[in-house]
Amino acid sequence: MAKNSSTESSKKKKNKNKKNIKSKLSVLNSEAKKTKGPKENPFESIWSRRKFDILGKKRKDDERRRVGLSRSLAIQKRQKTLLKEYEQSTKSSVFVDKRIGEKNEGLEEFDKAILRSQRERQLKLKKKSKYNLSDGEEDEFEIQDGGYFPERDDFEDEEPLDEDEADQSIGSGRKLILGRGNHHEAEPDMDLRSVEGQENRQKTKKEVMEDIIFKSKFFKAQKAKDKEENEQFIEQLDKDFASLVQSEALLSLTQPNKMRALKALVNNSISNDSAKKQETTIAQNKVPPQQEKPDHYDKLVGEMALDMRARPSDRTKTPEELAQDEKERLERLEEERQKRMVAADDSSNEDANSSEEDDDESSKQIRHISGDDLGDSFSHEAKSTKVGWIDEILRRKNASEVDIDDAAGSGESEEDDDDDDDDDDEDEDEDEDEEEGSDRDQDENNKAQSLKDWEQSDDDNIETNLEEEEEDDDDDDEGEGDDGIVKRLDMVDQKKISESKGKQKDNAGVAKVKTYVKEDLDKKEELPYTIEAPKNFEEFSALLENRSDDQILEAIKRIRTYNAITIAAENRKKNASRIHFRIYVFYGVLLQYFAVLANTKPLNFKLLNMLVKPLMEMSAEIPYFAAICARQRLLRTRTHFCEDVKNTGKSCWPSLKTLFLLRLWSMIFPCSDFRHAVMTPAILLMSEYLMRCPITFGRDIAIGSFLCSMVLSVSRQSQKFCPEAITFIQTMLMAALKNKRRCEASQLYHLMELKTLRPLLCIQGHVEKIDSLDFLMLMDLPDDSPYFASDMFRASILFAIIRNLRGFVSIYEGLKSFPEIFLPISKILHELVEEDQIPDALKVEIKDVAQHIESKSQEHNLLRQPLRLRKQKIIKTAVPKFEENFVKGRDYDPDRERAEMKKLKKRLKQEAKGAVRELRKDNHFLLDVKERDKARMEEEKAEKYGKYRAFLQEQEHAFKSGQLGKGRKRRR
Amino acid sequence: MGRTYKMKGQKRKKKEEKYDKGEEFEQLDEKENSPSPKKVKTEDSESEKVEEMEPVLDEMPGIPIIPVDTGGKKPGVIFVLEKASLEIAKVGKTYQLLSSDEHANYLVKNKRNPADYRPDIAFQAIQTILDSRVNKSGRLKALYVRTQQGLLLEIKPHARMPRTYKRFSGLMVQLLQKLHITAAGKGEKLLRVIKNPVTQYLPINSRKIGFSHSSEKLVDMYNYVGAINNDLDLVFVVGAMSHGKIEVDYVEDYISISEYPMSAAYCISIITTSVERKWKIL
Repeated sequence: MAKNSSTESSKKKKNKNKKNIKSKLSVLNSEAKKTKGPKENPFESIWSRRKFDILGKKRKDDERRRVGLSRSLAIQKRQKTLLKEYEQSTKSSVFVDKRIGEKNEGLEEFDKAILRSQRERQLKLKKKSKYNLSDGEEDEFEIQDGGYFPERDDFEDEEPLDEDEADQSIGSGRKLILGRGNHHEAEPDMDLRSVEGQENRQKTKKEVMEDIIFKSKFFKAQKAKDKEENEQFIEQLDKDFASLVQSEALLSLTQPNKMRALKALVNNSISNDSAKKQETTIAQNKVPPQQEKPDHYDKLVGEMALDMRARPSDRTKTPEELAQDEKERLERLEEERQKRMVAADDSSNEDANSSEEDDDESSKQIRHISGDDLGDSFSHEAKSTKVGWIDEILRRKNASEVDIDDAAGSGESEEDDDDDDDDDDEDEDEDEDEEEGSDRDQDENNKAQSLKDWEQSDDDNIETNLEEEEEDDDDDDEGEGDDGIVKRLDMVDQKKISESKGKQKDNAGVAKVKTYVKEDLDKKEELPYTIEAPKNFEEFSALLENRSDDQILEAIKRIRTYNAITIAAENRKKNASRIHFRIYVFYGVLLQYFAVLANTKPLNFKLLNMLVKPLMEMSAEIPYFAAICARQRLLRTRTHFCEDVKNTGKSCWPSLKTLFLLRLWSMIFPCSDFRHAVMTPAILLMSEYLMRCPITFGRDIAIGSFLCSMVLSVSRQSQKFCPEAITFIQTMLMAALKNKRRCEASQLYHLMELKTLRPLLCIQGHVEKIDSLDFLMLMDLPDDSPYFASDMFRASILFAIIRNLRGFVSIYEGLKSFPEIFLPISKILHELVEEDQIPDALKVEIKDVAQHIESKSQEHNLLRQPLRLRKQKIIKTAVPKFEENFVKGRDYDPDRERAEMKKLKKRLKQEAKGAVRELRKDNHFLLDVKERDKARMEEEKAEKYGKYRAFLQEQEHAFKSGQLGKGRKRRR
Repeated sequence: MGRTYKMKGQKRKKKEEKYDKGEEFEQLDEKENSPSPKKVKTEDSESEKVEEMEPVLDEMPGIPIIPVDTGGKKPGVIFVLEKASLEIAKVGKTYQLLSSDEHANYLVKNKRNPADYRPDIAFQAIQTILDSRVNKSGRLKALYVRTQQGLLLEIKPHARMPRTYKRFSGLMVQLLQKLHITAAGKGEKLLRVIKNPVTQYLPINSRKIGFSHSSEKLVDMYNYVGAINNDLDLVFVVGAMSHGKIEVDYVEDYISISEYPMSAAYCISIITTSVERKWKIL
């Protein structure tokens, strides 16, 4: 009761307080209402407007605001908080209302009271408070509730508490209630343990083990049961099967023989295991008199058992091995030959009985029988073996290689199928190369190689043709810029060539067969199979003395095979260097042989041609040495030439040998290299010849134009500009002019001072026909031959020159300075056309070329850009940076950390700015208040001052006027 | 209380100053660029000389002589695209450039006329202007685009605008939200939203020509451009809208260059071609 009264009293107090506060609040509110209510600020009704309104974009809450309203709200808030603080800052003591729930405006008065009483109870139930001495009524009242505390011991305090107080613990604190709840839950748990208690309880080890044992037993029993069932099922099946067999339904389906076996099987006891069954069936099968025929499958199986096992095939041989094989084969053949030589002596005796010799005999007999047989014994034998590996390699090669060339290789003699003839297939050539064991990587160089071979065979063909005095004019139709005298140029379309080639080959083949037959007849001596590489030229020439061309070639081939460089590579350690050296020497000798051959007076042009191929192949094998040889020779030629030029009387134009060598090198070495150890000096030498040699005779012109054509063929690949050749052509064309107008062309006159410029090529008479010239024939003619002065020669050489010119024009088409180079020439050409005696065919040609030149130079003129100080610049553009699906406010920095940092910094800045703004506004607010206070004080002061002053004035007035009584009166 | 307002006012002023600075910077840029116009001008005069010289030239074939650039002020071209319909909206969750074929339903729902939303016209027109030789030779001074909402966009002539419409629309979405687009790699602003009116950016000594099919004055563009004084900068005002005509007060002369109504892009190509011919830009 006492407590109640006390709470009531406290409530009353609180109510008082509250009322006070409430009244205060209401006063404030009313004040606010007064300020806000009556004068509706028109600014507060204005909503903020968006600057760039976007259709469909919802305005966020912080975006839709009334600036004026928020401002006045802020001021109100300051009035509530800042103003209060300011007012209290001058006070020394503060009234603080710390009642529970007083500041929480959401609570009702009653709730606040409940909260307060709860807190009170809690405070009482604290452990500390139980030692508090009771003072007064409140404590007594409390003891009734929780008076047990002092009586019990600490350790028991929980258990009795819950049973007793469970129902009446409404008034007790929260903690206790919670504890009790736990215990209530715990009791039923004990009951439930049998059902689900295991989950909660930790299992003991023993229990776990028991569990496991029980499980394993259970599974074992299960297994046994399964097994039994299975067996039963099998038995059942067997029974069923037996009945099925008995029913004869199966009989119709299977063979009768099998049927029997089946029956037997069924008759047997079914319990037999499978092995036994098989045995019995075999036995049963044996028993019946009518043997069971093996069926198809059985047969196959039997056959398979008897079949031979597949043998691993020989692996494909490396080029080195092939070379080695070839060498060994040659050695073997040589041995046989030696034997045969002996045996031939003894052949009358016919003592030799060895099977080998028999074979030899038979082969010999064959040879004897066919007296005009094409080959020696070797070629027959060789062919069989050779074809084998050639085919093998051919097969290895991809099919793409098989092309037009195959058609070309038709008409050829059996005898020299690989090496000797140029008509051979390109592929075979390559095979040959492989046989020789070239170092280079065949696969890589296939294309280049084939090209080379083409060139070679090409040229050789033509040259042979020339030798046979066949002037074929098909190439004129091709119009590819060959000079028609000697050479056909290398870059001629391969296809076209191959067409004409077929024919030529046939001819050549036939011709060759004839010659071979002849040569075979006067063949004196057989060639040894193994030939050591000759050490010097004498040795070599001795070897080749009185041999036919083919034999020479065969000899070279054998030497090369015997001393193949790949073999050297194989046994590198022992005698590699020796073999290398031998090969080098042999190469030098061969080159020398070539040179000598070129210089001999009755020129063996065919042999020269044939020599080209081995030379080329060898120089491909030993490129470094070949280059050294070529350079040395070039150097020597150059020094000779320089000396020749000095003494004016002598003709310094290159000899046939030099020409051939130059040609050879241009075929061996790549012409298109920017700088080549051999070709660069060779080209320079050719240019020098063209530049420095005075033109005195008709033959000089022929040589010069040959050189021109060579330069053309070389520079066709490299696209190098060779002004000497052009100048030479120009000079020659001027020499063809009759009148003296050429002197007017002064710009070139100084170039020709050196050269005697007689009208060497001026055609006086009428020429019916323009023949192609045979260069070799021209070389053979003496200097002062009347032919050189003939119009025929002049027309032909002019024709050749024009063709050369055309070639140069086509090469240098791309040059920027084309008009400057060729326009003077075209001028001369025009003058030339005006000459009377020029044959019509030539005229047409000249006109054609001139026109070509002019049209081309026109094109070049059109393409020329004007000279400018600098090129017109295009403005520099910049790419705008933007995002796909841009959303404002999102950071598109790929670096997330940085973006995060940026965001935080921005936030910080924003916050800081906000805070500063708030502070500033606070300051302004306070300042405002202070100002107002000051103003009021001022006012008050002024008022007071006025009042006192008025009083004093009055007093003084009274004093002065002497009305003393008045004041007295008032005081009363 | 009054103070706070005052403070705010000052701040705004500051912003304006900042903006003006940008303008100044831009102007500086133009000054830097000014040597190039000089060059152009002399080239013109030189080229005239060349015409006189031409009979002499023929004597030496193959070596054409061309004027030497010696510098000098060259007039430029400014394009203003009026009434471009570049408006973005939040469609679904993303912002998109409104176009009639993509957002027909959306526009109808928002009570707009879909036929008015043709950003492709502006796209084409901008592309034609920036691809012209006038621009490549550096004589396009500026390109302004005024949208139907009245926003004024400035596109720098050396901005490489996206070639596809999709990317263009992406760019516009960003521009209209962010109000400027910077160059990739550096901070230069290639596109930005600037303050109206456009006249404050146009050079004083310039001829402002508006194009309208409705105009009475039908002229041959090349002749018209040829007749204009060489010193004057040319400002061409072209409408980038599908319907209607441009009505701006700063245009001095409205002309029609064809009997037929033409697309903006083609009209621009005619303009640029004739200007190129006039200035001999090849």
